[in-house]
Amino acid sequence: MTHGLVTPGRTLKERATRAVADAELQRALHNLDVRLFTARDVEDNHRALKDKAAAIRRETLADLDGWLDKLEATLVSLGVTVHRCATPDDARRVVLDLARREGVHRVVKSKSMATEEIDLSDALEANGMESIETDLGEYIVQLAGERPSHIITPVIHKTLPQIADVLSREAGAPLAVDREVLTEWTREKLREKFVAADMGITGANFVAADTGTIVVVTNEGNGRFCTSLPRIHVCVMPIEKVVPRFADLATLLPLLTMSATGQRLSNYVSMVTGPRRPDEVDGPEHLHVIFLDHNRRDLVGTRYESMLACIRCGACLNVCPVYRKIGGHAYDSVYSGPMGKVLTPLLSAGADGRDLPGASSLCGACAEACPVQIPLADLLVRLREDLRSPGPVVAGVPSVAAKRTRPRVRRLGFGTWAAAWASPAGYRASMGAARLGRRILGRDGWAHRAPGLRGWTAGRDLPLPAARSFRDRWDARREGDDQW
Amino acid sequence: MVIERFIAAARENACSVHGPFSLDAATAVVVEIAGRHAGEIALTVDDPVLDQLGLDAALGATADRVLTPEQADWTTRLPTAAVGITGSLLAVAATGTVVLGTNAGAPRATSLLPPVHICVIDAATVVAEFADAIARLDAGVLPSALTWVGGPSRTSDLEMRPTLGIHGPKTVELVLVQPDAPVASPS
Repeated sequence: MTHGLVTPGRTLKERATRAVADAELQRALHNLDVRLFTARDVEDNHRALKDKAAAIRRETLADLDGWLDKLEATLVSLGVTVHRCATPDDARRVVLDLARREGVHRVVKSKSMATEEIDLSDALEANGMESIETDLGEYIVQLAGERPSHIITPVIHKTLPQIADVLSREAGAPLAVDREVLTEWTREKLREKFVAADMGITGANFVAADTGTIVVVTNEGNGRFCTSLPRIHVCVMPIEKVVPRFADLATLLPLLTMSATGQRLSNYVSMVTGPRRPDEVDGPEHLHVIFLDHNRRDLVGTRYESMLACIRCGACLNVCPVYRKIGGHAYDSVYSGPMGKVLTPLLSAGADGRDLPGASSLCGACAEACPVQIPLADLLVRLREDLRSPGPVVAGVPSVAAKRTRPRVRRLGFGTWAAAWASPAGYRASMGAARLGRRILGRDGWAHRAPGLRGWTAGRDLPLPAARSFRDRWDARREGDDQW
Repeated sequence: MVIERFIAAARENACSVHGPFSLDAATAVVVEIAGRHAGEIALTVDDPVLDQLGLDAALGATADRVLTPEQADWTTRLPTAAVGITGSLLAVAATGTVVLGTNAGAPRATSLLPPVHICVIDAATVVAEFADAIARLDAGVLPSALTWVGGPSRTSDLEMRPTLGIHGPKTVELVLVQPDAPVASPS
């Protein structure tokens, strides 16, 4: 899942520091502000829908294998070829073999995080095929040699002048820094590619087990092109995208689009049920669906199972104070923000992103914004615990080893703290010590520098305890002294 | 009531909405809109609403401009067509969305490649909520492709401001038909 392309910096901390210092990036990230209202609106108006959606996702995960078997049977009956792939490597090989066998020269892709996860575009290009991202944001990111920095708005990290630069380089002539001009140029450019493509690759937002219907949501219409014009359609579907019934779309689809972009329904929704039928003049002749596992099945039945309920709406990214400051590339993972911090270590079985769960204030905004009620903040805390011990995350098994490997000094510190606060006298004594610290560290109520806390005070001031504690003031008040 | 709601929502989605009209008036409006654009007109055939309008005959004066899926060169001519005319299965008032279904006479690309999409909607097929549309579709046989169209192609990738016309149609003209509509007058 990691790739050397994105942001320089070995650790998350280094990458985040650079991101915060990047003035252009900070300007670009402000554009995400409009999405804050989206999250609030969903919360206010779609409470009932959220409960229903969470129930559907729980029902699905409770028998994931059963629903997948049912889906496979339905798809096969429609004339679809199903490939079950355990690893990204398997999935890449299936697509490459198919493309070679079918003599594919050009592939058009609709935005899909699953294909990012398996690095499909690079694999196709390395094998001599042209693979073109057709979502405008993804296209810009591909031309720039970068990766998407947000699962819904992939080029949120660039300002309009930066985007104009990227497209101008491709055009071989300067294009105006103007939305209409840039859009029109891209329309013409990509239209040629669509008409001459042999294979269309999409992800799936949902796939219904009872009807075999693949749902692809876009605003631009590029998903329609990819599923309509090329003679082969390949859908890369992470296994948790299955939903039991077509009827479940009534709940899940509006909730997805509302949470993602604030739209009652996306501009275009394509529902594909099998390849073209014998009497039809367009549509794919061959439809292939890849069930991508990539360690997902291992999470079923563990304390991380709820992460598989994720519908990739991006709401948790939009409200996350960390994401909004450092942007997506600093995570150096396909999935960023709160859902990425949980998913990256889990999908890689602990090989990647071990420092990601630490990049959270645990404010809980992500869990609140989540339309399918994934307890993201809780999962982050559990992961921090499980990732303390080296080696793979043993999903679902509380890491006993973690407690043993915790440094002795730290154990002693927390032990003393716990013992002190277990009694009123100890608590009072600690407050006395804290007030002593106040006199040493800063008279204005803030510590600007503190020994041992430089990690905090390098970027922020540390609030110090009040000169007179609440307990003292309460006691004084009870004794008739009204001096607050 | 549901019709008014649909019209308001579709206009919010940047569609032009016309009607509801009687059959004759609707036919005249479709022919008039198509006539504004030079170039070929791709037409869906064997569609229950379009057949009622008799568009084949109405567009007759410009028959050499009319392209239908039965024609052998449909695939090669469509990419340069100026207008695509389709019917629709359903429309959703709450979201301002029309639902297109694919079959032999109604290919996917008619509403996709031409820069102008004219979609004729039988007012009786407008449902209130998205869930109503899903329930109706679930009760029947699903076509190989269902396309939900909420307006012209749009993107928000450029600093989160909406821009129209990135891939599909730049203009979507919705014409509502209500066979028993009182007196039709183009709005």
